[in-house]
Amino acid sequence: MADTHKPASPPNPEAPNPDIDAYAHEAELEAHLQTKRMYVNMGPSHPAMHGTVRMKVELEGENIASSDCEIGFLHRGFQKSCENVTWTQCLPYTDRLNYVSAMMNNFGFLNAVEKLIGLEIPERAQYIRVIGSELHRIHDHLTCVGATGMELGGFAPFLFAVEARELVMDRVAELTGARLTTNFGRIGGMNRDLPEGWIEKVHKSLDKVMELVTEIDGLLTRNRIFVDRTKDTGVISAEDAIDYGWTGPCLRACGVNYDVRKAKPYWVYDRFDFDVPVGEKGDNYDRYLMRIEELKQSERILRQALKQIPAGPIILDDWRIALPPKPEVYGTIEGVISHFKLVMEGIQVPAGEVYDCTEAANGELGWYMVSDGSGRPYKVHVRAPGYPILSAVPSIIKGKMLADLIPTFDTINMIGGEVEQ
Amino acid sequence: MSDNDTKKPTGDSQTPPKGAPSETREAPGSTPKHPPAGAKLDTPPAAHSSPTAPPPPPAAKPAGPPPPKNPGFVTCTIDGKEVVVKPGTNMVEAARMVGSDIPYFCYHPRLSIAANCRMCMVEASNAPKLVPACQTPLAEGQVIKTNTLKVKEQQRAVMEFLLLNHPVDCSICDQAGECKLQDYYMRYDYRPSRLEGGKVMKNKRKVLGPRVVLDQERCIICSRCVRFMNEIPKEPQLGIFGRGSHEVIDTFPGSELNSNYSLNTVDICPVGALLNRDFRFRARAWFLSAAPSVCTGCSRGCNIYADFMGQETYRYRPRENEAINKSWMCDQGRMSYKYLNLGRVLSAVVGRQQGAGTARPEVARKEAIKAAAKALAEVKGMVAVLASPLASNEDLLATLTFAKGTLGAREVYVGGRPQGDADHYLMTADKNPNRKGLELIAAGLGLALKPFEELVKAIDGGKVKALYAVGTEVPGNVETFAQAAAKLDVFVAQAMNESPLTAQATVLLPASTHVEYDGSFVQVDGIIQRFRKAYPSKGDAVAHWALAAELTRELGGTAAWTTSREAFRELGKQVAELAQFDWDKASPPDREKPGINPLPTAADGRPPGYREFGAPRVRGL
Amino acid sequence: MSTFALDRVTAQFPEAVAERYLDRTGGSWAVIHAEHLPKVAAFLKNELDFKLFTSIDAVDRLHLAENDPRFEVVYFIYSLSRHEHVRLKVRVSEAHPEVPTLVPVFKGADWWERFVWDFYGIRFTGHPDLRRVLLYEEFQGHPLRKDYALRDRQPLIPERPIKDIFRGPGTSGVS
Repeated sequence: MADTHKPASPPNPEAPNPDIDAYAHEAELEAHLQTKRMYVNMGPSHPAMHGTVRMKVELEGENIASSDCEIGFLHRGFQKSCENVTWTQCLPYTDRLNYVSAMMNNFGFLNAVEKLIGLEIPERAQYIRVIGSELHRIHDHLTCVGATGMELGGFAPFLFAVEARELVMDRVAELTGARLTTNFGRIGGMNRDLPEGWIEKVHKSLDKVMELVTEIDGLLTRNRIFVDRTKDTGVISAEDAIDYGWTGPCLRACGVNYDVRKAKPYWVYDRFDFDVPVGEKGDNYDRYLMRIEELKQSERILRQALKQIPAGPIILDDWRIALPPKPEVYGTIEGVISHFKLVMEGIQVPAGEVYDCTEAANGELGWYMVSDGSGRPYKVHVRAPGYPILSAVPSIIKGKMLADLIPTFDTINMIGGEVEQ
Repeated sequence: MSDNDTKKPTGDSQTPPKGAPSETREAPGSTPKHPPAGAKLDTPPAAHSSPTAPPPPPAAKPAGPPPPKNPGFVTCTIDGKEVVVKPGTNMVEAARMVGSDIPYFCYHPRLSIAANCRMCMVEASNAPKLVPACQTPLAEGQVIKTNTLKVKEQQRAVMEFLLLNHPVDCSICDQAGECKLQDYYMRYDYRPSRLEGGKVMKNKRKVLGPRVVLDQERCIICSRCVRFMNEIPKEPQLGIFGRGSHEVIDTFPGSELNSNYSLNTVDICPVGALLNRDFRFRARAWFLSAAPSVCTGCSRGCNIYADFMGQETYRYRPRENEAINKSWMCDQGRMSYKYLNLGRVLSAVVGRQQGAGTARPEVARKEAIKAAAKALAEVKGMVAVLASPLASNEDLLATLTFAKGTLGAREVYVGGRPQGDADHYLMTADKNPNRKGLELIAAGLGLALKPFEELVKAIDGGKVKALYAVGTEVPGNVETFAQAAAKLDVFVAQAMNESPLTAQATVLLPASTHVEYDGSFVQVDGIIQRFRKAYPSKGDAVAHWALAAELTRELGGTAAWTTSREAFRELGKQVAELAQFDWDKASPPDREKPGINPLPTAADGRPPGYREFGAPRVRGL
Repeated sequence: MSTFALDRVTAQFPEAVAERYLDRTGGSWAVIHAEHLPKVAAFLKNELDFKLFTSIDAVDRLHLAENDPRFEVVYFIYSLSRHEHVRLKVRVSEAHPEVPTLVPVFKGADWWERFVWDFYGIRFTGHPDLRRVLLYEEFQGHPLRKDYALRDRQPLIPERPIKDIFRGPGTSGVS
């Protein structure tokens, strides 16, 4: 090829001129594709790479010979930040772990801290936590399902999902004051009660959300294109999934019945009647079905919880844990001292360590905390459910088509915030 | 109340550790003769002659105290742990030895015992009621419990009473963050107020004297301040007036709290009642970091903490040193921090000031060093040296070595602050922290010390044409000396603060103050004391020793030391008294101040106190 | 909480268990000597059905009262049949921060071990690919160590030459 570009050779008037002759390089068009391996960078800025993940994919033709997942573009030093603020000040950082279901992170963190202190929170607060968690589980699954549909070519399901999500977000905003980063709940209970008339609104919104879920279900579940792209792609066996540490809907899609809400019921989850869907094959389609079914189960839990929720206090009445009511802070020295100490020094968590977990939208959200007895955490380890799931992706797509990477990446629902801390 | 008790953190309901001796356990050898201490002291020995009592030993023994377990000492049990103390030790100190903290307000180890706050009440095996731990010396075999329900109820009740009339002031109170009321409320009370109706109103800003103001509402009448004034400086200027709710601390009619030790009452005040008028409302305690240092107000060398934020020192607080200042320091010394912040020479200047108010060309320190070196090189051997006893040992070692070795000086004129008044307790007449050090170092280097007056005469007589000054404090009139200095051909001055004299320097080099580097002083009794760096030097300043090193190098000499530690270790060998001093070991530990602390030293990548330059932020603490 | 698994481990490998204790919340812990860790993990997985690999992390005990050896690597493994976690600890010194890898036993250990290496600088001997996972290779130090300053700054690093990117097939490709 270098020969044709020799500057020394005089221009040949007989040679086809590529500027005017479409067949000038005809021979090249018919040449065989190079058979060497090709490296493709998926991301870090790629619409299908949720957040910013870079997959270095080595292609053999259209098959993935190997891949390397490079994460950390969204790393914000969650643990280091937490170690340098008071326990309560960690809460906004937990919002930003799984930012699609912030309340579950909030409550998971609080649950672990409360266990470390040895607190039993009021019943109403436990109900509010269940309600918040299930709302955000719906929110999270809707996002995942909608995005999966969109990235496989169907824009309508995404619009339906976003509409339903918007309804959930409105209720969340009424409850917490924020649409996304809720910073809701406090050590020892909740920082605010359900707004007036909110329960009825949630019932109405749920009606509409479930209508939309049915629409999405109808658009996707029996859609030929969708089924072809997802069925038998991204398959992982139950043994491998367990070995990698998968949890949540992705593990259940492999046929393993493990849900922290059932295995080790926390808060008041043992009072509700709900089922844990379990899949068979562990492929992308099963993972999608898990999410659709869990949306329906979350709705069941929500409706029961909204019916059962008892009246009562929403936070412990202990001024070493909970901030005193504002009239006491402004009016009495006892209140102002407690407020000052809790804000400036933080809650004095007795020295010790704890591992505790809750079921977040993507699986077991584990916390390992060490306290040295001061107002600031000594160590906050978060076991984000997405981390082990993402770590298995290179192995499950090995040898598969490049196009399978997209649905696989969708259905594992990797959230950059929690994986990259 | 009981509702809350079930939900409290598990922190305070711990069972004693397994290995700890229980109160019924005694050393095996003494079991038959010494029944469990609690039983023995609760009931008179005669009771043991009941039929169920073990027959042999008790009856045989006459009624009376059993022999002590450790002769010469008192052995007793506090919270299940055995403790051996000297006779006469009170329970607070003994409990501290075994890790049990007994709370107290009025008790102070260096003052007489008043036992009026009732916070330290504990259960003792030989008393039917609770006893004040600060006042009660330990008795042989006594069993003390500091965390029983009864004690807790007492502590809670005391806190409730103390807070009953306490104003809602934390947000405007200087003591917030280092206040005993706050600490103890969170630890021992944590209950809402049960007060209905108003609080007793008293004088909120009673000016007691030139340096102290009292908020009588915040006062809990612990009487620490009264006892301090009576017992330590022995100037009884404070008293308690009134009765019951109307009880207040005040000065006696017609007099004021003007003792030179009045600010110590602010330190020992457990609440925010007595306030330092100088420090009041200037900084929140939790933004300040503390560096262990030494007061430079006089030659006593009281140990202090320099509390600072950013590159400003806000206050001095006494640091305990049994040999020198106990827990106290004088007001004059405490106020002497101001020169660290104000009127500092921040950049190097070459050339004299032409007239009052005219600007002088500021140059980079490197340029000024070159100019100084050039000027000094021309007058080598004819340079007079003025050394200030305000400079540290490291400074003097380096500068005088430079003066002797490079400039060829044979004698050193002694500058420094003028003599002042001494008082009856800590303050000395010599207002310079390191005169002793200067004498030792000059002797060690073989330099003769000459009084300042001779320098004035020499300049007036035209004998001295060039002067190298380490510190520009002079014991005479600065104005007159400045006029004399104007006649000098070469005047290289290393100065911390602006003065009429620095205006006359042909080359002015900015020097660090003692809070800006590590170093040591020799105080009046010959004790060498280390002080530690609080924050980096302001402006372009470096320490005197570093300036001397730069000058030495500029003039072609070798000065290998790059830290004050190296300067001391290398040059201190020439001085016999300094040679034995372990510079590193003598460094005071960087103990955190009580109350809320900023992050541990340099945890955020900057020296402590550097929260943000300028305005402090609450976040990031 | 049940101590079943750790009781069995202690019975099987008495030499491997340095210490057993219950934390304040009732969690049962075993401190394992580093060299015995793989066999304890394999025993837990194969004999006791602790198969779900939960996570690994480490604690830098520098500022704690008890800080020798300096690091603690903690392991959490879950049993789907018994519904409980087993908590293991391995203590490693600052001078030799090395622990045998668990990758041959649990595939899930791979990324967690990379995480611990990344943030604490503890090496896992035998790990097939011990690279940093969240931070970049040029990062200096290990940021979750307590002596790494909160606001420490990293030096700028030169841009890496991009060697692994090729244009697609065609004439402009590098051949």
